[in-house]
Amino acid sequence: MSSELDRHHLAAAYALDALEPDERIAFEAHYHDCHVCSHDVRDFRSTLAAIGELSVTTPPADLKARVLEQVAATRQLSPRVAPRTLAPAPARRTYLLAAAAALLLFVGATAFIVGRSSQSDDAFASQLEQVLAEPDVQMVDLTAMSATTEGRIRVAWSASAGQAVVLGDGLTAPSDGSVYELWLLDDSGAVPTQMLDPADGGEVRRILPMAGNPIKWGITIEPEAGSASPTGEILFLGDV
Amino acid sequence: MTEAMATTRRLRAVPIDDVAFDSDPLAGALIRCGRGDQAAFASLYDQLAPYVYGVVLRVVRDPSQAEEVTQEVFVELWRIAPRFDGEKGSVKAWASTVAHRRAVDRVRSEQSARDRLDSDSQRRVTEVDVVVETVEASFDQARVRHALAQLTPAQREAVELAYFGAHTYREVAALLNVAEGTIKSRIRDGMIRLRDELGAETQ
Repeated sequence: MSSELDRHHLAAAYALDALEPDERIAFEAHYHDCHVCSHDVRDFRSTLAAIGELSVTTPPADLKARVLEQVAATRQLSPRVAPRTLAPAPARRTYLLAAAAALLLFVGATAFIVGRSSQSDDAFASQLEQVLAEPDVQMVDLTAMSATTEGRIRVAWSASAGQAVVLGDGLTAPSDGSVYELWLLDDSGAVPTQMLDPADGGEVRRILPMAGNPIKWGITIEPEAGSASPTGEILFLGDV
Repeated sequence: MTEAMATTRRLRAVPIDDVAFDSDPLAGALIRCGRGDQAAFASLYDQLAPYVYGVVLRVVRDPSQAEEVTQEVFVELWRIAPRFDGEKGSVKAWASTVAHRRAVDRVRSEQSARDRLDSDSQRRVTEVDVVVETVEASFDQARVRHALAQLTPAQREAVELAYFGAHTYREVAALLNVAEGTIKSRIRDGMIRLRDELGAETQ
């Protein structure tokens, strides 16, 4: 069985929440864009919803009051709409420019620098689990834009939770006075950014706040203070 | 049973205010929930709670934990209601997905894989008592039991250990001492047979 075929065959185990964590991440990165698998996942979830009828059990009567009390104190997520831009709104970009050039042309960028040290492993693992448990989690492997670029970068995110997980391995440390900067590109043109600081061994393990619905993620080399819009070499880029 | 027979088809009693969802009897209430309507949510709770609690209880087993997880599930459903997408499935499938994932997360965070293999290899999966509340529920259950009966025993065992046992397919393979590829196939073939028996659009 080829690995490609195997991947399409994971929809049932995925719907059962029975994949190993790494396979789950890989499948989630795959199935949203795969007509066959997204159809299978929807069907299997519907099938499991029917199986659930067999377990119907009346919950304790006082649970409802507690749920409603907590619900009354819980803010709902906002529905998905095109995010506002900070700059005068450009015409909405339905189509993206060629991948590399696109990073340079967006306007209305906002940059902010977050803490530079990597988070502790435990805190990271716990937050990673939370992000991956979001129903709308997505993932993309960024593509190195040059044959000489070393390492790999993977981004998983949940727009509803407003959090992104960045995983990097085997990265070359940026030269003195420069940093890696992560860019989120969405169709309104806003480009929120985060600084990345590869830890020892070229690893990045970060959970970052984010906003909007990304259509691309990219990484560039920027001056140490960061940039408001991408100026340096594009190292990695990935389409959502 | 006589009392159950007299019960109206309560799932059909939900007013539907969006034609696009008229195949989903819970969609109307959910749309109102998404607009912050707590009364609509209370109604949705009434209709989904035995279902959500049942799925969670069957996975986590412990009633007090099942109660906690059920509460988490409903608060989460409320929180994300504005983003429900009927194109991706029914309200019940959506609730079931959130409930099962939360239940599995609870089980996996509380027990190491080793612990689960030890305890569950003795317990395996047991049928839980079922409360038949309506004619419709009873009809649905009969259909599901019929569909499950169409699986080979090996397929059914693999699907149930994975879904209700909260095991990954690799853990199922270890439990049964069968190759992982074989378990993957049993799970997939079993789910396809269930889907074909039940129809993809089952509520």
